[in-house]
Amino acid sequence: MTTTAAGTTTRRRRAFSKGDRFTLAMFIGVPSFLHFVWVWIPALLTIGLSFTFWNGVQLSNIRWAGLANYETIFTASPQFYDALRNNVYWLLWFSFIATPLGVLLAYQIDRRIRGHKIYESVYYIPVVLSLAVIGIIWRFMLGPAGLVQVLLGRPGIEEALPIFGNYDINTYVILSIASWRHIGYIMLLYLAGLKAVDPTLREAAAIDGATEWQTFRKVVLPAMKPVNIIIIVITVIESLRAFDLIYIIYGTSTGWPILGMLVFTNIYGQAASMLGAAYAVILFLLSITPIVFYLRTVFQDDKP
Amino acid sequence: MSNQVNENGVSRRNVLKGAAIGGIGLAAGGTLLSSCGSDAADGPVTFTARTNDETGLKIAQALADAYTAETGNEVTMQGSGDTNAFQDGISQYLQGTPDDAFQWMAGFRTNFRADQGLLVDVSENISNLGDQMPEGFVSGATNPSDGKQYIIPTTWYPWGLHYRKSTMLELGLDPENIATWDDFMKLLEGTKSKGLIGYAMGDKGGWEAMGTFSILNVRMNGYDYHIDLLNGRAKWTDQETIDVFNQFALLIPYMNANFLDISWDGMRDLLLQKKCGAMMMGSWWANDFLAKSQEDYDDLWIVPFPEINPAYGRDSIDAPVDGVCAAVNGTNPAGGAAFAEWCGSENGMLAAQAAGDTSLYANTRLDTSGYDAFNKQKLAVIGEAKNVMNFLDRDCRNDFAGTIVGPAIQNFLKAPQDVNKIVDGMQAAWDALPPLS
Repeated sequence: MTTTAAGTTTRRRRAFSKGDRFTLAMFIGVPSFLHFVWVWIPALLTIGLSFTFWNGVQLSNIRWAGLANYETIFTASPQFYDALRNNVYWLLWFSFIATPLGVLLAYQIDRRIRGHKIYESVYYIPVVLSLAVIGIIWRFMLGPAGLVQVLLGRPGIEEALPIFGNYDINTYVILSIASWRHIGYIMLLYLAGLKAVDPTLREAAAIDGATEWQTFRKVVLPAMKPVNIIIIVITVIESLRAFDLIYIIYGTSTGWPILGMLVFTNIYGQAASMLGAAYAVILFLLSITPIVFYLRTVFQDDKP
Repeated sequence: MSNQVNENGVSRRNVLKGAAIGGIGLAAGGTLLSSCGSDAADGPVTFTARTNDETGLKIAQALADAYTAETGNEVTMQGSGDTNAFQDGISQYLQGTPDDAFQWMAGFRTNFRADQGLLVDVSENISNLGDQMPEGFVSGATNPSDGKQYIIPTTWYPWGLHYRKSTMLELGLDPENIATWDDFMKLLEGTKSKGLIGYAMGDKGGWEAMGTFSILNVRMNGYDYHIDLLNGRAKWTDQETIDVFNQFALLIPYMNANFLDISWDGMRDLLLQKKCGAMMMGSWWANDFLAKSQEDYDDLWIVPFPEINPAYGRDSIDAPVDGVCAAVNGTNPAGGAAFAEWCGSENGMLAAQAAGDTSLYANTRLDTSGYDAFNKQKLAVIGEAKNVMNFLDRDCRNDFAGTIVGPAIQNFLKAPQDVNKIVDGMQAAWDALPPLS
């Protein structure tokens, strides 16, 4: 057995010509190098900077701060917990409302309900827009003198219904706007996965007398495991890295703080301080957890 | 020349009064215009205008052309693009390959970059300008950490209570003066009972309401307390500060409900459309009234925020100074400084004026007799004040003003009952600030 395995390996290795090796080295080496230079070095530097006091100008002014920036964030930053809470809301909303809706839509469209082509296009259209564009669209629609305000019979600035600045509803409004795109995105991914599920599986389940729900839960869902994992990871990452939509709607005033905004407002611009680096590290740790979880699951699957 | 400066270099008492009223007695004549810099300052100059609107760019181009015509040094002007982005990126910009000269703001935003070695010392250029430059502006432009100047002041504008004279007449109030808190309340009550907004507020940007906070603080606790507070010598948890917030809370019932959905331009529009009684704002948008109609512009008025504590009267005002700086990392920093100096000189300001700039100028030689009624009133409003501030986010550390004070005031406006929690948070954030280096 061992010899055979070793033999196979040797044979496979010998199959690489010089040109192949060069191509492989370029394909693996160049992206790895760029990735290292543009992603890992800045990431490591950011981690390092989060333990310093620095205003981002003269390197000679940099000072060791130990854990002071983290202490400030956890004990003396009124916005941190608001931001964390908003990110958690975002995650919960996406996990329990937007993503399941996307899955449901995909399932219905896959069953070729009447007009499924129209539904597919309608829900997919927002996906081609970036969140920044979506932010601009909805800012105009919901803002003072926007279309929605006019339809509500409040065309004047003085009577415009407070929406983005109304803290009773703005969380729901923003999450609905974000979902507008997310649902279509999930629908598309799931639809692609569903098309790959062998239809005979479903037929067999139907013949055995399974209900629609039983078929979905016991047959389709398990067959879709790889897609499910991707969808879970995307949902988590999208919720944590949220930034563009909020920046477009609120600017840097952090009217609805989220961690991504705090990174930006504290490290960029006139108020540069390494609190921003510390926020970035916190966000990094929160985001890396689901990625690690995802990679581990995938690698476990690959094991013979 | 008084070198009496404090942390913010804004202790420009009394001197401004004379300056603002137009440099009486210093009109034409006087000393000769000092030569624009030395030989070292020759050569082409690049210049960034901190604007992206048409009028601003036209004025900046006129400055560039006039300087080229006068000195033979070619000036290449470019706009900054989005001004907020320019402001946010200024430290990075100055460390890269900046233009030799650029339009900027006096106060902390200049002094901090000067301390970082990014700006050219223009003290000599200021002394070249001699008595053209009012002393108050010189001390306003002085960096407290080394007593030198890094910006040549050019223009400024007051923050005051803006309203329409016609509305005051309808309410039976003196259209030219709202002097006391009682009058102010009558104004608010009167407009509210007419179904309008009493006190327009738009704090979406997070800085607009700072103007109201600052003016309430100087009216109630005085200028010195305000500057102490912004520099950590007084505490946000002091009863004095809490009283200011509580006074601010009295105005909330008169505000538009959507104050966190609109920005300063929304406030302007409310006044423009006669939908509100009064608003506290800087006067930089008055041209928009003129653009609508002469009648609207004639109806617009500004007065100092009313007195609250007789001990302080109306002795302080926010009147941010704008000017021109030269960048150390420019290709011709000496040329940049000479150009900045020229922008602050009589000739520079005449060139800007000819191109349609209606700002108030920081130069004693400029004749203000041709000012319209509103601009004369702006001068009078500034002239009445003994203490001039540069606005909260220019008088205070940038890593506190924008990231802490702005959101705190927004939180306060939406939940004024939480004032104690909010000031605790602000003080904790101040105490946790790293040393300023």
